[in-house]
Amino acid sequence: MENLDYARLQMAFTLGFHIIFACIGMVMPFFMVVSHRKWLNTRNPIYLDLTKAWQRGVAIFFVTGAVSGTALSFELGMLWPEFMKHAGPVIGMPFSLEGAAFFVEAIALGFYLYGWKKLPETFHWITGIIVGISGVVSGILVVSANAWMNSPTGFDVINGEFVNIDPVKAFLNDAWFSQALHMTLAAFAATGFAVAGIHAFQILRRKRTDLHIKAFKIAIFFGAVAALLQPISGDISAKDVAERQPIKLAAMEAHYETEKGAPLFIGGIVDEEKKEVSYKIEIPKALSFLAFGDFDAEVKGLNDFPEENIPPVSIVHYAFQTMVGIGSLLMLAALIYFVSLKKKSWMENRKYWWLFALLSPLGFIAVEAGWVVTEVGRQPWIVYNIMRTSEAVTPMPGLKYSFYLYLAVYITLAITVTWLVNRQIKVLNNPKD
Amino acid sequence: MLYVVLFFTFFSLFLYVLLGGADFGAGIVELFSSRDNKKLNRDTIYKVMGPVWEANHIWLIILIVILWIAFPEYFNIIIIYLHIPLTLVLLGITMRGVAFIFRHYDAVVDRSQDWYNRMFRISSLITPIFLGMSFGALVSGEILVTNDYTETTFQEIFMDPWLNIFTFLTGLFYASLCAFLASTLLIGETTGDTRKMYSRKSGIFTVVLVLIGGTVLLYGYLTEMVFVKDFLQNTWSLAAIALSALLLIPLWRAIKKEDSVLTRIFAGMQILLVIFAAVNTHFPNLIITQTTEVNMLAGTAPESVIKVLGISLIIGGCVILPGLFHLMKSFNMINIPSRSSERQEN
Ligand code: HDD
Ligand code: HEM
Ligand code: HEM
Repeated sequence: MENLDYARLQMAFTLGFHIIFACIGMVMPFFMVVSHRKWLNTRNPIYLDLTKAWQRGVAIFFVTGAVSGTALSFELGMLWPEFMKHAGPVIGMPFSLEGAAFFVEAIALGFYLYGWKKLPETFHWITGIIVGISGVVSGILVVSANAWMNSPTGFDVINGEFVNIDPVKAFLNDAWFSQALHMTLAAFAATGFAVAGIHAFQILRRKRTDLHIKAFKIAIFFGAVAALLQPISGDISAKDVAERQPIKLAAMEAHYETEKGAPLFIGGIVDEEKKEVSYKIEIPKALSFLAFGDFDAEVKGLNDFPEENIPPVSIVHYAFQTMVGIGSLLMLAALIYFVSLKKKSWMENRKYWWLFALLSPLGFIAVEAGWVVTEVGRQPWIVYNIMRTSEAVTPMPGLKYSFYLYLAVYITLAITVTWLVNRQIKVLNNPKD
Repeated sequence: MLYVVLFFTFFSLFLYVLLGGADFGAGIVELFSSRDNKKLNRDTIYKVMGPVWEANHIWLIILIVILWIAFPEYFNIIIIYLHIPLTLVLLGITMRGVAFIFRHYDAVVDRSQDWYNRMFRISSLITPIFLGMSFGALVSGEILVTNDYTETTFQEIFMDPWLNIFTFLTGLFYASLCAFLASTLLIGETTGDTRKMYSRKSGIFTVVLVLIGGTVLLYGYLTEMVFVKDFLQNTWSLAAIALSALLLIPLWRAIKKEDSVLTRIFAGMQILLVIFAAVNTHFPNLIITQTTEVNMLAGTAPESVIKVLGISLIIGGCVILPGLFHLMKSFNMINIPSRSSERQEN
């Protein structure tokens, strides 16, 4: 592999790591303040235990998110100096606002973590809400910078230089809304199902069931609402991609031939050499409808684009199928949850808890898959139709070593964090010792 | 607007060196403490730094973001040629951050604490050294900007400029600055024997700091380094350094009088003067390479970008600074005089 490949791998790996912690850091504070509110209202000590346990979780995930994010803000420049040199001023605005949002978040978190028994109760609780809101705001801001890479606007290119820069227009590019909406929902769906699943598993083990049921209900509520909305938002994203990045759409669907009334493929094995997809299920005309809202619309196939502009089709296609598959599953699970609110007997059934325990990791798998669709689907461009990834990479050789270094550090971190969370749960289950 | 942006650039640099520095320093002080004092120090810094710990480090992110938005060409050189030391800085920041949280938020307290402590202390020392080395490398006149990778080796382009005696000295200088800051600031937070311990440490680190500072200048002078020569000829910079040395006297008096507000003000002013002296010498040519000097202000982003950035910074500043101040006040990190007397009565 070349230097460029290692740079890509490193970027993908560190972002993929950061996103997990970022999602949890965005969403967990909301669970925490709901539980905190219930404690303030009912004075039921179980809610206090739960709030404190979640707070420790938030602290651990927050710093892991923060340090990996700090690393990213350097890495963007270290790996892609030419990109940052030209694009930095254009997408600077969301990043500088994001900096402000982090600051608010860190200040509010300082108040929250250290404010027990020191601050007035309501004020203390509100600082928790601010942590959550500023987290979501920073998420939306970064995603809008990413959306600009997919849908660059707000500047002109003259002789390779970016001129007439309008940072506000670049910030409010065509893709920002659909991406930010989809990402925010994804964070809630993924974290909601992950946390609910962990508590469901504890219920199966019959440990402090009273506490874990309360925890489950708070987490799944957020997750289920988001999971129901997610396919709708996904459809908005898909229509948007169809318009702005037809090659990405074709790669997502592994669609080689241009046709009117194009069918939707489900599953299938992509052969990039022969440009075929075998063993697929075809739903007639569905793709035209999903992409353009018209059963007879023309969908452009990959064969109509120049070879050098085509992304790796199979990766994008499989990732997209994974995301949509998981999206449908989570939506079903959300429906099951809402029905179980009426049919209480379901909750007595162990299968019910097994279902949620098993779904636990899926949301995050979908998040990773979704980002692979977005990022790999944009290749070979770093800024769509403007700058190629190969033109942006650092001239420094030896990125191989840097990649392995990050790999080792982050894997160690991930293992440690998992182990710590496990210890938190053990202590929560046995409050006496 | 460019001035607003420049103001925030140096303001974040100053606050990062000061607050982030005190934060690193706390770990260094802990590293150089006896066994019992280590534990004491651990609890003190948790109490003192805990609530602002995270906020202190965001100044670095703000600084980076401003550099890449407003001064893209300048940033480009830093980030390409200092790739390796900056990676090491990042590694250090990562280790330190997680070790700090792990040691205070692990649900079970057992032998693993030893690991967290060790990781925290060591990375607290290493990170500022590499950071100082990066600062040193920028002005040492060793950076080699080139597109020609056939004539020069990896070693010459990516290692030698930051890995030499001068940068090593600047690294040590920054680390001792951090330790000096932390021990001085912690004096005001403690009483009795602990107080004595920090006073003693503060004294030691002051001496270390002055010695290393002198060595940096001497070494630079003897090897005829452009930056150091200019520094020694710049009246304002020399005056700033002299003033900062003079400030040690009122600083020690304030410490004796247990006036933690004045102590902080004097320590902050010293840092401000040291940064001023360094920046003033060569502004705006803040990178000195083997062949030329790179003007930070050449190749700034277009006016429209600077304008939006300036406005964002002003708005951000209006939200953040009062919040931060309130945070520090609430946890008694800034003692308004009436409050500190209240505390003494208790
Ligand atoms: C819990 C996670 C999750 C779930 C269940 C889904 N998605 Fe998704 N999807 C993401 C998480 C995600 C993501 C990781 O958050 C992405 C990456 C970039 C983005 O903005 O969101 C994404 C991107 C993304 C894109 C590419 C956007 C672009 O490149 O601009 C499309 C077209 C869809 N999604 C469509 C769907 C559809 C039709 C779903 C049907 C159920 C779906 N997603 C479920
Ligand atoms: C989809 C992508 C991303 C999302 C949704 C996201 C979201 C977040 C969130 C919510 C946080 C707060 C940390 C927490 O509460 O745990 C965070 C931290 C951070 N992120 Fe990201 N981020 C993304 C990508 C990036 C990228 C590409 C960068 C680099 C430029 C970055 C830089 C940072 C930094 C510097 C922090 C630390 C801030 C602090 O100290 O609190 N993030 N991110
Ligand atoms: C957190 C979620 C994200 C994930 C999992 C992710 C994943 C990836 C992947 C897989 C690649 C490699 C693509 C390839 O070379 O085939 C990549 C590249 C890249 N991503 Fe992302 N990405 C995320 C968010 C972002 C955001 C928010 C930004 C910027 C604001 C960003 C900026 C980049 C850049 C600059 C590259 C390198 C150039 C390129 O390959 O196009 N990414 N990312």
